[in-house]
Amino acid sequence: MRQRSNVKRAAFSKLAPIIFVGPAILFVVVFLYAPIIFSVALSFSSWNFISPEINFVGFENYRRVFHDPNFQDAAYNTLLYCVVLIPVQIIVPLLLASLILRVKNRNLAGFYKATLFLPTILAYSTAGIAWLWLFDPINGFLNSVLTAFGLPQSRWQTDPNLAIWCVAFVTFWKNFGLNMLLLLAALVSIPKEIHEAAALDNAGPWRRLLTIDLPLISPTFFFVAVTTTINVMDDIVGVIDVLTSGGPYGQSSNILYYMYERGLSFFQFGQASAASVIIIILVLFVTWAQFRMFENRVHYES
Amino acid sequence: MKVRTALGASAATHIVLSLVAILSVFPLFWMVTTAFTPNDLALTKAFRFWPEDPTFENFRIAFTDFHAANWIWNSILIAVLVSVGKLAIAVPAGFAFSHMQFRGRDALFWVIVATMTFPTIIGIVPLYIGISLIGWYDTQTAVIVPSIAYIGFYVFFMRQIFRSLPNAMFEAARLDNAGPFKQLFEIAIPNVLPAIASLSIISFLGAWNIYLWALLVLDTPEKRTLAIGLKSFVVIDDFEPMWGPMMAVALLSILPVMILFIFAQRYVMAAFTGGIGK
Repeated sequence: MRQRSNVKRAAFSKLAPIIFVGPAILFVVVFLYAPIIFSVALSFSSWNFISPEINFVGFENYRRVFHDPNFQDAAYNTLLYCVVLIPVQIIVPLLLASLILRVKNRNLAGFYKATLFLPTILAYSTAGIAWLWLFDPINGFLNSVLTAFGLPQSRWQTDPNLAIWCVAFVTFWKNFGLNMLLLLAALVSIPKEIHEAAALDNAGPWRRLLTIDLPLISPTFFFVAVTTTINVMDDIVGVIDVLTSGGPYGQSSNILYYMYERGLSFFQFGQASAASVIIIILVLFVTWAQFRMFENRVHYES
Repeated sequence: MKVRTALGASAATHIVLSLVAILSVFPLFWMVTTAFTPNDLALTKAFRFWPEDPTFENFRIAFTDFHAANWIWNSILIAVLVSVGKLAIAVPAGFAFSHMQFRGRDALFWVIVATMTFPTIIGIVPLYIGISLIGWYDTQTAVIVPSIAYIGFYVFFMRQIFRSLPNAMFEAARLDNAGPFKQLFEIAIPNVLPAIASLSIISFLGAWNIYLWALLVLDTPEKRTLAIGLKSFVVIDDFEPMWGPMMAVALLSILPVMILFIFAQRYVMAAFTGGIGK
């Protein structure tokens, strides 16, 4: 009797990993991997959801996407968002974190930390809405300030030249607090003795940040770099949608938003899928490049 | 001399930090004052740092002309179910990946964790088609079920956390004839409750804010959530948007998150920093 229950139990123990890991695998495969595989298939076909026939069209969708001026703009904007926002969203929070470290009064330091972190807990759409109201060209706060100082009013996110910077700024505003917090947590964890030794060597605070702190917090720095990249490519879409809908004239769109518009506003599934395949390849490349770049430089304590 | 430079540096530090603090808070402050200002007054008078004639009129409009009550309920429902779903899946998986031996363990782990780098809306087109084909369009299920799949970070996080528990703990349990479920529920989980609480917070905040996907699959106004209900006020193209009611709804949408932040500030911040600096 006892032996039988043991046999049963052993069989059950063998099944346990499947029960524990199975749902996770099932969900990522069905909802994350399968759609990507379908995207690849759809990107080589012409199908518009309504017609029953699906034709193989080779690289036609890719050709159309690459020749689409909207895609070219979106690709350029994506690059611009990355080149501007990734460094700014890492460097400014790093400087702010090192400033907070210098505040000796603990309550005050806590206050700064919490306040600067506040925008992070908002949704991208809510952050967009809050700024939409400040930017409002007719009754918004910012234009009232400009008027009060006798300056000409601005059209903010409805100005084709400014739209992209408005989106970039709001994305930064919503995000810098998280990076600040992560970098601060890493900086705090550096042992005091190291700083004391550096002080004996007469290293100033900024030099210390560059030559001592930065190498020591490199794992966090790497994590921040990867998440910021994802965030600048991906989460920004919420801000774009609320603030400008990619406009005016596609001036603030990015490639994910382009894909979203093609697919679900214009129902050009083939082209949208081609765009998504391009994005996947890009993301894989960027992630690989980041891993390569940091592989040699990241210093893990062992 | 030394003292003066030290003082100077610190004054500059405070000025910079105060300015950034104002920048962080001001849009929210502005949201609150607008929410309590009568809509026509909000449009005519830009400088009012405190609502004169404070009113609940905007909230009344949000609840009667729009569907704020439904949106609140839907947001709560979706956030809770997505969080519960994610944790129910990620916690056992994290445990299996840290304290169990089975074939293909590392490969399966990377299959899950690699999804962390996927842009969230990358599969949106096939997913939309699939959801429409199985008749989930315009249902909350369509928002909840696919959103649970973004568990890459959660599984990674839980594995790290469970790894901090010594293996000997579970070996002893095995000698005591404790099966995998007993090990998970009676030993592993009770020992990492703070970490699970942190993960729940992240999960809730994330699900509370689901935007683009919800916007796509929820069509009926009553079925929307707060995050996308906000958009109902923007699309009134020819007129100025209804800023007052819009800010009222925006305020409602950040209220639970704010309350969570104020009362569990350390917890929330710890949740975001994960294991860094411990």
